[in-house]
Amino acid sequence: MQCAEHLRVQAAFDGELDAVSAAGVERHTEHCPECRAFRDSLERTRAALRRDLDYGQATPELRARIARALDAEEARERRAASQAAHRAVRWTRPFWVGTASGAGVAALAATLAFVLLVPLRSAALPDELVAAHVASLSSAQHLTQVVSTDRHTVKPWFAGRADVSPVVADFATQGYPLIGGRVDTLERQRAAVLVYAHGAHKINVFSFAPGRLGLPAAATRRGYHISCWKSADLGYCMVSDAGWDEMQSLARLLQDLAARDARE
Amino acid sequence: MDVKRSRFEAQVLPHLDAAYRLARWLCRSPGDADDVVQEAFLRAYRAFDSLRGPDARAWLLAIVRNCHLSALAERRRRGHEPLAEEHEADSQAAVAPLPDPERDSIERDARRMLERLIAGLAPEHREVLLLRELEDMSYREIATVTAVPIGTVMSRLARARAALKVSWLEESRGGPRAVR
Repeated sequence: MQCAEHLRVQAAFDGELDAVSAAGVERHTEHCPECRAFRDSLERTRAALRRDLDYGQATPELRARIARALDAEEARERRAASQAAHRAVRWTRPFWVGTASGAGVAALAATLAFVLLVPLRSAALPDELVAAHVASLSSAQHLTQVVSTDRHTVKPWFAGRADVSPVVADFATQGYPLIGGRVDTLERQRAAVLVYAHGAHKINVFSFAPGRLGLPAAATRRGYHISCWKSADLGYCMVSDAGWDEMQSLARLLQDLAARDARE
Repeated sequence: MDVKRSRFEAQVLPHLDAAYRLARWLCRSPGDADDVVQEAFLRAYRAFDSLRGPDARAWLLAIVRNCHLSALAERRRRGHEPLAEEHEADSQAAVAPLPDPERDSIERDARRMLERLIAGLAPEHREVLLLRELEDMSYREIATVTAVPIGTVMSRLARARAALKVSWLEESRGGPRAVR
């Protein structure tokens, strides 16, 4: 299968594309005999597998074995819980003393780390973000390493290249077309960067695993705005010379997408 | 029966057959598949609090797959299993077809051939293909089960389908009866 479209033909066949992209693939397939033959062979293979392969079922004996194993596990957990309750009653004093002093040391350490690390960090990350944003604007090659408005191209492209896999969508109808993506080093990670356009403005959305101390507050450095949020366990930082309100609209679109993505 | 057990039976137990089918295709023998599924249900029950979201099936199948891999590693450590075992294009490694006198021999041949071809695929190709075609899982669910990114699922699926097609054509050319 040599046609560059074949992964998209496969994705359409597997029902993984949205309606617009699927229609695009459909149009392509009409004109590409190679892709048409490919899709036909996908259909034949599926039909044969679903018709001829033994689906198989768990036997009643296996069901019974599992029920017995779960009974035993349930009883074990109950015993362990009641033993723990007994121990807690008998050892109340030492148990509390130990926990209190342990917690005290941990709290002190956390406070110290906070005091020592916060100024360093909040100073560094916004500057790093703006530096990466400015560098990305120097040429088209710097801005996007993968050029596509299709999330099914951009998202898989990040796999293996970046350390995280962010939510990806094109918001052209809302005025924020997806231009592509690239990978930047940020916080010593390979951050996945989504590049959007809004009018003449470019918007970079960096995503990475945030450090323990969280993300910087909204800020403006060298005239560029920085706005950050967390969705699921990923940190997203948006940098642009577009207006605050326009950036917030895109942020909301991405947050809604991440929320839907997490529910699926 | 406590609350945890009844929640577990409502959310996880309905996927027993899917768990069994995956184990059956991963393991060498039906007995091994039963052991893997039982162990997987026990681990799933212990880890039930870590199940987030509605997708209990992908979560359970990921545990089944992990149980299979650790059982395999254990057997290899004890020297009971040759390393090349998983790649053998040997019909013994597949689900042995159940005897069924009702079916005519042509249908049985097609069945056996497909089972042999599937068994001959590399394990990482076999699992994505079966999860997609037999369990009807989305790329995201398959990514969860097999612990790889979605892009890898897409490329493995493409390679699995291509490999199956190649061996199918070879088989059809060599054998007396072509299955298209």
